[in-house]
Amino acid sequence: MIAASWITLFAPLGATVLITLGGTWITRRQAGYIATLAVLTSFVTALVAFFELLNEQPEERSHTSVLWTWLTAGDFQVGLRILVDPLSIFMMLVVSGVGFLIVAYSVGYMDGEDEERRFFAYMSLFVFSMLLLVQSGDLLILLGGWGLVGLCSYLLIGYYQERPEAIAAAKKAFIMNAFGDATMALALFLVLQRLGTLEYGGVFAGIDGIGGWAITLISLGLLGGAVAKSAQIPLQTWLPDAMEGPTPVSALIHAATMVTAGVYMLVRLNPIFEQTPGIQKLAAGLGAITLLVAGLIALVQVDIKRVIAYSTMAQIGYMFVGAGMTAYPNAMFHLMTHAFFKALLFLGAGIVIHALLGEQDMRRMGGLGRTLPRTYAVMLVGALALAGIPPLSGFFSKDPLLASLLDAGGYGVLLWLAGLVGTFLTGLYAFRLIFIVFGGEPSPYAREHLHRPGTTMPALWMAWTVGVLAVLAAVGGWIQFSPFWTPITDFLEPVAAPGIEPSGMQELWTSVLAVALGLAGIVLAWAVFSTGRVEVPRPAALQRLLEEKFYFDTAYDYAFYRPASWIAAAAIRFVEGPVISGSIRELSEGTRLLATRVTELQTGLLRNYALALGGGAALLALVFLAVRA
Amino acid sequence: MGNVLVWAIWVVAAVACLGSGLAVISFSNPFFSALALIANLAALAVLYLLLSAEFVAAAQVLVYAGAVMVMFLFVIAYVGSHADSPLAGGPSSQRLAAIIAAGAILVNVVVALALTTSGRLESAADTGPSFGSPSDVGEVFLTNHLLAFEITSIVLLVAAVGGVILGSERERREP
Amino acid sequence: MGPDVSWYIVTSAFLFAVGALGVLLRRNPLIVLLSLEIMLNAANLALIGFARHLGETSGQVFALAVMAVAASEVVVGLGLIVALNRNRIPLDVDRLSTLRG
Repeated sequence: MIAASWITLFAPLGATVLITLGGTWITRRQAGYIATLAVLTSFVTALVAFFELLNEQPEERSHTSVLWTWLTAGDFQVGLRILVDPLSIFMMLVVSGVGFLIVAYSVGYMDGEDEERRFFAYMSLFVFSMLLLVQSGDLLILLGGWGLVGLCSYLLIGYYQERPEAIAAAKKAFIMNAFGDATMALALFLVLQRLGTLEYGGVFAGIDGIGGWAITLISLGLLGGAVAKSAQIPLQTWLPDAMEGPTPVSALIHAATMVTAGVYMLVRLNPIFEQTPGIQKLAAGLGAITLLVAGLIALVQVDIKRVIAYSTMAQIGYMFVGAGMTAYPNAMFHLMTHAFFKALLFLGAGIVIHALLGEQDMRRMGGLGRTLPRTYAVMLVGALALAGIPPLSGFFSKDPLLASLLDAGGYGVLLWLAGLVGTFLTGLYAFRLIFIVFGGEPSPYAREHLHRPGTTMPALWMAWTVGVLAVLAAVGGWIQFSPFWTPITDFLEPVAAPGIEPSGMQELWTSVLAVALGLAGIVLAWAVFSTGRVEVPRPAALQRLLEEKFYFDTAYDYAFYRPASWIAAAAIRFVEGPVISGSIRELSEGTRLLATRVTELQTGLLRNYALALGGGAALLALVFLAVRA
Repeated sequence: MGNVLVWAIWVVAAVACLGSGLAVISFSNPFFSALALIANLAALAVLYLLLSAEFVAAAQVLVYAGAVMVMFLFVIAYVGSHADSPLAGGPSSQRLAAIIAAGAILVNVVVALALTTSGRLESAADTGPSFGSPSDVGEVFLTNHLLAFEITSIVLLVAAVGGVILGSERERREP
Repeated sequence: MGPDVSWYIVTSAFLFAVGALGVLLRRNPLIVLLSLEIMLNAANLALIGFARHLGETSGQVFALAVMAVAASEVVVGLGLIVALNRNRIPLDVDRLSTLRG
């Protein structure tokens, strides 16, 4: 099991190295195959480890393994440590499984790209980084994986290097994530100072010994990292821009895995967070605000990928609410189903984009239901799953999560209400997308430029991977139907026991309400966007508020970007010019001047040199005499 | 009586030495300077004799006055005597500095002598009758200072070869 | 008998100073060489004087070596002057300043 886990971790890294060193000796498609094979290997070995873990008693399902010690500072040691327990196995399966499907899809999607090898090298590197993050047994390795996924995100968002928008988006993502990394690092410093260790076991054992402001700062710092990575308010502005990357990147990194790292952290480090219930409630609150704001903004987006991006933001908001209110297994279950249907939606959108030769603006789409029927079908499955309609997967994961909030007091009820409103919005924006893109008459643009995917190898690969995801999105939720049958909760219990449990009645009422609201949203979307029977009032101010994404970007521009550029310009003018360049220039000028003066001593006249000799000799003799006397 | 004679010879030789030295640097015509140097060398030979250095005195007259100065005179004749005023040319600061430097060296040597030797220069060592004779000098040359002897020969050889090379007609390069 | 060695040394010092003046003040390189000879001879005198005072023949040996070296140096110097003259370069030490910095 330990060996299998190590192979899971290092197989994608091996692919990256192989593709990088292979250079142009491997064809572009071979690079794709290498990456796919590596991630498949990861999934298979993760499965092996999973089954071996199941053979053990629940209390014994926690193993760590250290590969080598790479940092020693006094008493403090850090090794490359992985932890194999239910939570990490769960994440390993999700990451490698969905990752495998997405990488296989991108063999078809990215076919023919000039820099295909670079893409697959980066994708494999990302899978490795994400696995490092979820398999780490040490806070430092967690931070290492955290940073590495941020790096891969930067590399992949900026994959289309010639597009300045892509470069800007990559930088934005990286810088906002760096903020989260910084708060995390500060939290780690505090932990290290108080406890002397960063290894999970040691930290969890001693964490209740830290009191007062220290533990609050630690939780806050860790939450900062989670909020940045998972694109929750207030650090969410990078995620929509990250859609500049290729669609498989959006699917893998910005839907299924990387952005869920924040949720994973809230669940994994729950012993730390449970010391500060206030911070946990803050996390839940931020999640609730995010799911409402993102849902609203998604209603006015015209780019198909951005709608799905805001949907991701909202769904992760749900997960934050769940994890913040200690409903850990539910949050993880929703993470899994969300990975399925969100990846499905993104990859399906990718098929649409490819068919329209790169067009992503929904206003130029329409009527594609007739021309791309199979794509329409899978997108419909994805959207229904997203809206939480039974018997698709979203229903089984989202509703228990909402229901359990009723067990958490007044604040929980408030969050429950927000979640229900969010469900309505989800149905609305999801089916707005479906009806605009696939319903109605084909737009003139679609008529002209539609290029139906045929049965070429790339198209087939895109088709079968999307098909598998559609099946998973449809039936993936059947693995847990609380409160009757809860294998996931039981599996995760030793590591992340839920703090709140809904009663049967609460479950029932929540499900009924949620499904009803979801259907209401769908019906409203149908009325507005499909048949045009209802005209939506569009007050200009509200419209602008939503289109400007609640002015977050503008606020950050004024608060951070402008002062920073002003300081930089001032520094160039007053510090770099006169002090740094000036001093060097003065130094060289001065040296040259000195040299010129000195060369004047060399007159070339014999007599002067002889005089210098004689005079020097006389002087020396004088000195000798003086010393003697 | 003998002492007075020795002193008298010394005074004459010393005055001749210094006077001819001054003459060397004062004449404008290099031919006359060379002749003055010959006189200087002769006076020095006398001083060497007074110091029981017969061999060196003879060598001085033969080699220096006989060969080197003749060479000088040949070259002066070949080059032609461009008479120029002795102290002409050069910056005046150079002149002042030169006089000061020379004076300083002089003062240094005298003072050093006075200070360091105090009474020790009064009595000269006793020397045997063969002191300064060719046999004595030759013996020391070929036993204690054999290396110096050999190296001097090499220096002379190198100088001879160098002289030939410097004096030979070089081929004009094609412009 | 006669002056003791200190008189000879003083004479040598004066002669050396005279020679130094000649080297530093004259422009004609021939005169400069002659003055150089004077300086060498002054050193020889000092050597011979101390040889007599200490009873060491080594001083005289040294003086002979100096004479040999001086002769060699004169050969080279005169060769240079002849070469200068052959190339019609003026025999003026102040004009020979090609090595000017």
